Amino acid sequence: MPRRTRPLLTAALVAGALAACAAPPDGAAPATPEPGASTSGFPLEVTTCGLTTTLEAPPQRIVTIKSSATELVLALGAGDRLVGTAFADGDLPPDLADAAPPVLAEQNPAAEAVLDLEPDFVYAGWESNLSADGAGERAMYEELGVATYVAPAACKSPEHQPDRLTFEHVFDEVTEMGRVLGEPEAATELVERQRAELAAVDPAGEGRTALWYSSGSDTPYVGAGIGAPQMLMDAVGLENIAADVADTWTSLSWEAVADRDPDVIVLVDSAWNTAEHKREILSANPVTAALPAVIEERFVVVEFPAAEAGVRNVPAAADLAAQLAALDLGEPVP
Amino acid sequence: MTGTAAGRAGTRRATRRPGAAGGRGPDGVSGTGGTGGRHGARTGTVAVVLLVLLVATATWAVTVGPAGITPAQVWTSAWHELCSLAARGAAVCGPDPLTTIERAIVWDGRAPRVVGAAVVGAGLAVCGAVMQALTRNPLADPYLLGVSSGASVGAVAVLVLGVSVLLPVAAFVGALGALVLTLALATGRGGGLSPVRTVLAGVAVAQACSAAVSIVIFTSATGDSYREVLSWLLGSLGGTTWNETLLALGALAVVGTFLVAQGRALDAFTFGDVSAAALGVDVRRTRWLLLVAVALLAGVLVSISGSIGFVGLVLPHAVRLLVGARHHRLLPLAAIAGAVFLLLADTAARSVLAPQELPVGVLTAAIGAPVFAVLLRRGAR
Repeated sequence: MPRRTRPLLTAALVAGALAACAAPPDGAAPATPEPGASTSGFPLEVTTCGLTTTLEAPPQRIVTIKSSATELVLALGAGDRLVGTAFADGDLPPDLADAAPPVLAEQNPAAEAVLDLEPDFVYAGWESNLSADGAGERAMYEELGVATYVAPAACKSPEHQPDRLTFEHVFDEVTEMGRVLGEPEAATELVERQRAELAAVDPAGEGRTALWYSSGSDTPYVGAGIGAPQMLMDAVGLENIAADVADTWTSLSWEAVADRDPDVIVLVDSAWNTAEHKREILSANPVTAALPAVIEERFVVVEFPAAEAGVRNVPAAADLAAQLAALDLGEPVP
Repeated sequence: MTGTAAGRAGTRRATRRPGAAGGRGPDGVSGTGGTGGRHGARTGTVAVVLLVLLVATATWAVTVGPAGITPAQVWTSAWHELCSLAARGAAVCGPDPLTTIERAIVWDGRAPRVVGAAVVGAGLAVCGAVMQALTRNPLADPYLLGVSSGASVGAVAVLVLGVSVLLPVAAFVGALGALVLTLALATGRGGGLSPVRTVLAGVAVAQACSAAVSIVIFTSATGDSYREVLSWLLGSLGGTTWNETLLALGALAVVGTFLVAQGRALDAFTFGDVSAAALGVDVRRTRWLLLVAVALLAGVLVSISGSIGFVGLVLPHAVRLLVGARHHRLLPLAAIAGAVFLLLADTAARSVLAPQELPVGVLTAAIGAPVFAVLLRRGAR
């Protein structure tokens, strides 16, 4: 494999050294499934984004693309079956931080690089990961006997996209992935734990409006009405000022933001566009600098990878609620 | 469209090499062929109509936007602002009808963007007209010397690689770099700049720059940072500040005045170098000077708005169809027409899908192409 020169920015900012070269596959795939993986229910048919795939047995050589996919496989205890991961949006969350799955690529790997690992299962967090200009079409993998799965929350066509993502969709994906990986008990346990954690989240933003500021400076790109941002805002009681746009994210003019005058601003924090940088943009732009939320610094911060459907959503909701509770939202402080 | 016999003959006399882009002058697109006198009479009418349109469009554009502020409130507020500037008391000025946020929306958000759109539109039309004359290529546009692709390299360096310079500054530096490179490539042994070499050098530099931009985006654009790059590459007037607007206005005033003053030389260039020399123009020196002036102005514009297509390419032709090809008339009118046009397009861009915004480049083509088609057909009768 050719050595890939790593971009300076990501190299400087992404903590944890990433292997510049994929490790070659270590021999053939083990023929028998791990003792931990349950083989009941196989062969299994799963349909995601309108495409059905069949698994004869729990996959043993898994390739994941996007953080959300990698993290779910790790959370279900199947990390030892990961032969390659790609397109990480940031560091692993604290509870999975000691896992060190093999890194195949920083972004979309080429189909050949994926096939070179001889995977039996490719799991993508975005529909576009498995396309001709991504890691290859799903149909190609299916023809080669490699099962494929795309996070149902990320389906783009109207008939498959969740019309308003809820935590039920997130938990359904966890449960289904549990069945696919032959780890149904781990999935049940994880869902139960997260349900309890979600039930305990205090809707600290009740009665407040909020802007979910994801990226952009001249024209901000914000969380709209039907995706993970809306779901997280619902969980903490915040009313999204862009809820009327029937999309997962949308571009919104600063004028519209100022006109809707949010009580709170959610800043998405990522290595390439930090929450701090967004604060600077908001203070520098004369239109937003006049907003009470900016003047009084009513900001809460969410990690970028938490803004996609996955195991991070519930912890992120709890974290947002705690941050909101710590803000002085105009009520008398006891 | 000078349409005079001398003009046509001059055009034919010009040296034509195989593969030369555009053997005819910029008037080659039109067949109106009126006399200078008729155009002269029409110029006054066109100028008045365009100026009225500009003032009307600008005042209307400030009242358009997603925030529910009525035109009446905007007018009252404008009176209040001007009156306060003149330091009159509240008794004279009356209360400000707008809240602090509304005032910021109108006077810091919309107003600089409206003026900015007008200035950028005017500048692009002027640059396009001059480039078409200097290269004798009807397909020339302000970005011909690679300034927009150079600016993109600067912008991407900031947006993707995190170089900590102000974006407009980086874009301008990139534009200058591309300009220097293009001129270095195009300059012949004797220091002359042949139109064909200039166009080809510009193409080469633009391609190299866009390859660099693509490589950077492809290897380094993380998460959704590519969205910002895309909006910049498509051209956008979103987030235009007063500082940027005033800077562009200054550049337009200085360079524009110079270009209009060079009107006669530009007319001579449309007949070809030989004729221009015969008319007493120092061809080599003047072409250098004019190219650099135009590219500098285009560099300033592109650093503020990204590369907005169509305006600089088509508006000069449209105005030529109306008032002929004499540059002392063409340039000022193209400026006003460009201002009105981009102002309309940008106002549509921010209001058609409100609260979302369309890239203005999409609308310049959507509005401009049919308008130009009508003018073209009328000219062909």
